[in-house]
Amino acid sequence: MRMLLQFQKGDIIRHLGLLDLQRTMQRALRRSGLPIRYSNGFNPHIVMSFASALSSGIPGDAELLDISLSGEVTEEECLEAMNRVLPPALAASRVRIVEDAFPKVTAQLRQAEYRIRLRGGDTMKIVAVIPAFLEESEIMALRKSKRAETMVNIRPMIHKLAVEQSGEGEAVLTVRVSFVEAATLKPELLLETLCAYAGAQRPACEIRRTALLGEKDGRMIPLIDL
Amino acid sequence: MLKEQIDALLDRVQKPARYIGGEMNAVIKDPSSVAIRYAFAFPDVYEVGMSHLGSRILYDIINKREDALCERVFMPWVDMADLMRETGVPLFSIESRSPVAGFDMLGITLQYEMSYTNILEILSLSGIPLHSEDRTWDHPIVIAGGPCAFNPEPLYRFIDAFSIGDGEISTLETIDVVKACKQEGVSRQECLRRLSRLRGVYVPILYEARYHEDGTLASFEPTQEGVPRTVVKNMVADLDKAAYPESVIVPFMEIVHDRINIEVLRGCTRGCRFCQAGMIYRPVRERSVERLLDLAQKLVDETGYEEITLSSLSTGDYSCLPQLAHELMERFSEKRVALSLPSLRLDSELKETLEETQKVRKTSLTYAMEAGTQRLRDVINKGITEEDLMSSVTDAFAGGWSSIKLYFMFGLPTETYEDLDGIADLAQKVVRQYFETPRNVRARGLRVNCSASCFVPKPFTPFQWEPQDTIEQFEEKQRHLCQIMHIKGVEFNWHEPQVSFLEAVFARGDRRVADVLEKAWSLGCRFDGWSDQFSFEKWMQAFELCGVDPAFYANRRREKGELLPWAFIDAGVTEAYLWRERERAMRAVTTPDCRKGCQGCGLKRFEGACEGR
Repeated sequence: MRMLLQFQKGDIIRHLGLLDLQRTMQRALRRSGLPIRYSNGFNPHIVMSFASALSSGIPGDAELLDISLSGEVTEEECLEAMNRVLPPALAASRVRIVEDAFPKVTAQLRQAEYRIRLRGGDTMKIVAVIPAFLEESEIMALRKSKRAETMVNIRPMIHKLAVEQSGEGEAVLTVRVSFVEAATLKPELLLETLCAYAGAQRPACEIRRTALLGEKDGRMIPLIDL
Repeated sequence: MLKEQIDALLDRVQKPARYIGGEMNAVIKDPSSVAIRYAFAFPDVYEVGMSHLGSRILYDIINKREDALCERVFMPWVDMADLMRETGVPLFSIESRSPVAGFDMLGITLQYEMSYTNILEILSLSGIPLHSEDRTWDHPIVIAGGPCAFNPEPLYRFIDAFSIGDGEISTLETIDVVKACKQEGVSRQECLRRLSRLRGVYVPILYEARYHEDGTLASFEPTQEGVPRTVVKNMVADLDKAAYPESVIVPFMEIVHDRINIEVLRGCTRGCRFCQAGMIYRPVRERSVERLLDLAQKLVDETGYEEITLSSLSTGDYSCLPQLAHELMERFSEKRVALSLPSLRLDSELKETLEETQKVRKTSLTYAMEAGTQRLRDVINKGITEEDLMSSVTDAFAGGWSSIKLYFMFGLPTETYEDLDGIADLAQKVVRQYFETPRNVRARGLRVNCSASCFVPKPFTPFQWEPQDTIEQFEEKQRHLCQIMHIKGVEFNWHEPQVSFLEAVFARGDRRVADVLEKAWSLGCRFDGWSDQFSFEKWMQAFELCGVDPAFYANRRREKGELLPWAFIDAGVTEAYLWRERERAMRAVTTPDCRKGCQGCGLKRFEGACEGR
């Protein structure tokens, strides 16, 4: 059996990187008393994986961790046990128990949703160009990976770019972007490209990830509900 | 407001996790529910400070009180410190991000002389006046403790009160006094007077030092009635009854010692003559196996750590070590908790224990040989022979270990170049032993890590009267060592003599080096223990500007009978014992472990000490 744990990466710990989160989660799982499965081998570790690594500096409302279990437990027991051992900044919101055969969550991830708050500077200039930006059929941007830098058309990777509120030099945007191995659009790159399109300087911004989504019956729903 | 200001800085610094708090098991209390708010500062960065066991013990002890809270303070790294100055953000506590200056008490732990400039930086960033005499009730009472408090004089102007010896009880007593003084509304001066009457507490403002023309100390006296002439160190007689944390903070970021630490014993009876810890932490006190197993269980449950360290000055001397190690392994192997034994003593009966631990992981083995020849090891009373080392590494290589660390010092009293050659000789013999181990038995990849540090004479040791080698002498010896240490399979490391020289000045300094410290800090010195931050030039400039000769403190031989700046402290070991040991050292005569017969060091004068021995 496996436990899918939905948790937040709170604002105060937004700077933690993947390794810090991994270590913290492993220790929390060891404290939980839940039947955790360990890998075999010389240096046994907990068998677990994050649906998606969240960059250092970005908080998340509904991150997902996939953990292998060695025994039977209920979802309620898991949620209660985890919230007893997790620091408040990593509070768990939901647990789902699935069979071992359930597809890996990393493989089911399709899109990610972000909320971006822009403040001051050229914020209003950026907001103004969004309708035109979305009318374009091709938007080229330089995507950097570990191996190479390539120019790609990011327009097909933008599924939503909406202004939630704006005024007095501030704006809140909701964006939904592709998050599959072949086509991942990081919100920072989208923002950078949008600023360049508007001929604007990047204003002060806060980015937070609000959802990780997978596809079911042609609709995008939170990964944990698949 | 301050919270948001701090938060904004975190996007601009390296390793922001140093400042965020919110870790599992951190204690958050409502400040309005307590009488005393205690800030506990470690004068180095988070990942170093969080690795310090003593701080965790005191954090736990204070927070167990209903009428007090304790929050942590660390030295911000230079990038953060500069940004704080620039933006007017004062030094803050980790738990509630409150300004340090607003706490009732500020405790600072003194682990290392080279952290002294950081103490001034902490006071300055907090907005607390540097000098005790300039503080009011608007500022916390600044208390310092730890091993360096055994010679508090170089810090006398900056600290209101020093707590000398074990802190478990003393910390609570000082809180009681400050609480009562605040409630009664007495003056800050009266509060300091009352603190000075507590055992182990030294309030420097209540004493006066006079000097002879030659610079040596002429007299050291209290300036008021009722202030004790001698400050007697605190000692916790029964470790089983002493408080010990049953839950510790689990940091988000990786810290230097990122594991459960259980203190199996305190003190050491071997009597190595260079070792200050071995003298000031006397007598030896052990925790029982039952108590240690209970603590280990609770800490594993509460932290989720995957490793336990048994710590002490000499864990190999713990009388029930094989039993303890065995039971720990048995109890926690299912939870995949590894056990590591850091300060292994090769002359202890550890073979079985080693075989137990190797089931989990083969880390490198460390041998603190300290000196290259038997003659010099006899001088320093390091009771290890070449045969001990060779028989232990022979077993280790046959058991599958291939990584060995050898620690040495150079510049020890009576040392000759023959003793230095002995270092290379020992390293060579270890390498040879590896290659003599059959190929199918030994593990691959021999690594002999050999490091030599410069000897620093410390107060309350038999070498407290001895001159340190000059920097030039150290450098000459270093050049010689580098030449002879070109051995295949051996990596040789050494330490910069400039840092050791300053360490020697402050270890045995008097009140006059306090000015130098302040001057060096004002010239920009901080994080002197970090080689990328250390500036010897600025330090030398500070000595010159203050007209103080560092060689007077580092390189001068003290005469028998000279009044030493720390002589007003009763550290347990008597000056007569230390001088006796010095004399034996000069004749290369060893002194047996006092568990095999009392050597009259002076601890028996303490109630509850050395019982059952």
